[in-house]
Amino acid sequence: MLEQTAIHAEQLVQSSPDSINSGVIQACQQGDREAFRLLFEAYKDRVFSIACYSLGDEAGADDVTQQIFVKLFTCIGQFRGESEFTTWLYRLVINSCLDERRRRRRFLPVEEFTPMTKAVHTKPAETRYERREIAGSVREAIGGLKPKMRLPILLKYIEGLSYEEIAAVLGCSKGTVASRLNRAHKALAKKLGHLRGELEL
Amino acid sequence: MFSKHVSSLSSAYCHDEISPEQSRRVAEHLISCRRCRREFEEVRFGARLAAHLPLIESPDSLWGGIEIALYGNGRTVLPLPRKRIIPYLMQPRFALASLALVVLVTGLATFWLRQNKSPLKSGETMGPFWDVARLNGAPRIGSALVGDKAKLGVGQWLETDTTSRAQIIVSDIGQVEIDPNTRVRLVETKPTEHRLELAQGRLSARISAPPKLFFVDTPSGVAEDLGCAYTLEVDKAGGSLLRVTMGWVSLQLKDRESVVPAGAACATKPGIGPGTPYFEDASEQFRVALSSVDFERDMGDYVALGIVLSSARVRDTLTLWNLLPRVSSPERPLVYDRLAKLAPPPPGVTREGVLKLNQQMLDAWKEQLEFRWANSSPSGPLKAWAKVWARGLGKLNGVAGKK
Repeated sequence: MLEQTAIHAEQLVQSSPDSINSGVIQACQQGDREAFRLLFEAYKDRVFSIACYSLGDEAGADDVTQQIFVKLFTCIGQFRGESEFTTWLYRLVINSCLDERRRRRRFLPVEEFTPMTKAVHTKPAETRYERREIAGSVREAIGGLKPKMRLPILLKYIEGLSYEEIAAVLGCSKGTVASRLNRAHKALAKKLGHLRGELEL
Repeated sequence: MFSKHVSSLSSAYCHDEISPEQSRRVAEHLISCRRCRREFEEVRFGARLAAHLPLIESPDSLWGGIEIALYGNGRTVLPLPRKRIIPYLMQPRFALASLALVVLVTGLATFWLRQNKSPLKSGETMGPFWDVARLNGAPRIGSALVGDKAKLGVGQWLETDTTSRAQIIVSDIGQVEIDPNTRVRLVETKPTEHRLELAQGRLSARISAPPKLFFVDTPSGVAEDLGCAYTLEVDKAGGSLLRVTMGWVSLQLKDRESVVPAGAACATKPGIGPGTPYFEDASEQFRVALSSVDFERDMGDYVALGIVLSSARVRDTLTLWNLLPRVSSPERPLVYDRLAKLAPPPPGVTREGVLKLNQQMLDAWKEQLEFRWANSSPSGPLKAWAKVWARGLGKLNGVAGKK
């Protein structure tokens, strides 16, 4: 007998990937709407961020993110637990973003991000200005990377996945992940060498 | 020198994604290979940049669009996902039976092991430990007095009173002497990491091992051994003073790092981390002003920095070189000019490049300065060691942080 997941309002506010356990996933597979909402709240920013960085524009990322979650909710019954849920989820996200890019057959520059884009702030106000400057430069540099290098960077630094998890999502070996991250880090260092002084302080 | 370069492992090494054996190989190779070290620093800088990638907040309207797509036909509950055909043997009753079998076997094994295990003798510790010898007085491990020999287990405290001293054998890589009125705790000991915590008092370490193997945690920073001998003292306020007698030691707290050579010292303060390294025979005026620059001054206060620069000798180029990345952009030309006057930079190192903190130029200048720092060491017998390590290392400020 599957447990019913009791979802309270507070849980939505505090929802994070850590709060998503097998009970929530099973409830989603049973069609529990509140469990879907919990899952959505836990992953919405991460999925949206990957879509933004992959596609280069917020409006497009908005559409793709909605499509991803609709697909997730209607196909969650196919998740058999043979891999980690996050591996399955991010594979869905990456494939959806790649499909969208192929459909568009173009890459929009990151400059087209709207000024309303809000970063999630976790630092004190007096350091946020400098960090925002650096973050903006990094975002622009990431947008200029080839997808093969950009995706491992996003999965590592936005989603916090291990090399093994990234390899599972991308369908490649751990060594390939390491190699691509190596090249991506060097590319960022080359593009943003002028920020070395700011980072040293 | 290793015949195989390790630059392809740089990212994996940064993210701790390689085996302990590979990690040791990389660390050893980086000491002696300037090319790989330069590439490693580039990768590490790129990793630090990538760490600034912000999470982007999704718009509030997102859920509304999803709701319409899912529930637009008025249904309040989604149709159940298509049922999958569960293979016969994966049905719950078989899974329960398998689980019961596993529990039974585990329980029997545990029971058998307990019956056959010999009891611990008095004073023995379970798990990894370091040997401890009493040098003087009555040191204690927990509440037990240390006899001629004892064992310090992970998590245990070793304490000395006003008259007692002790010696800890750090696995197979060196030893640490514990002075009176000192409290230390063994945090970790494994092939890839040996770590002590120094809560208060003083210890002297002599370590023969690749870098990034032996660490000492203090309230205001982590001392990372790079193959050396040193003393480390923590005061009641949590500040510490590191004095290096052989080799190099890195002091770190979050993004702030100081690499200290033989004959030099470095202070740390809680909440700030390590200051700038200096040679201990520098004038008192120099050292007091440097302390102010590191820990006390406000932005825009040039007085203390001015004293540091005007009272610096050739030997104090250690301090000036380390100040270059730490001071603000308006102050950096002052530091450069004084440093260049005391020790002109080598060919290929330009003022403009140094002011922009060009890493290659800084490394090249440091390599030239290290020879002066090593040769100006007051201790004759230590010159050979200092030269070897000075030539072998080129580490600048990094990202390793306190655990």
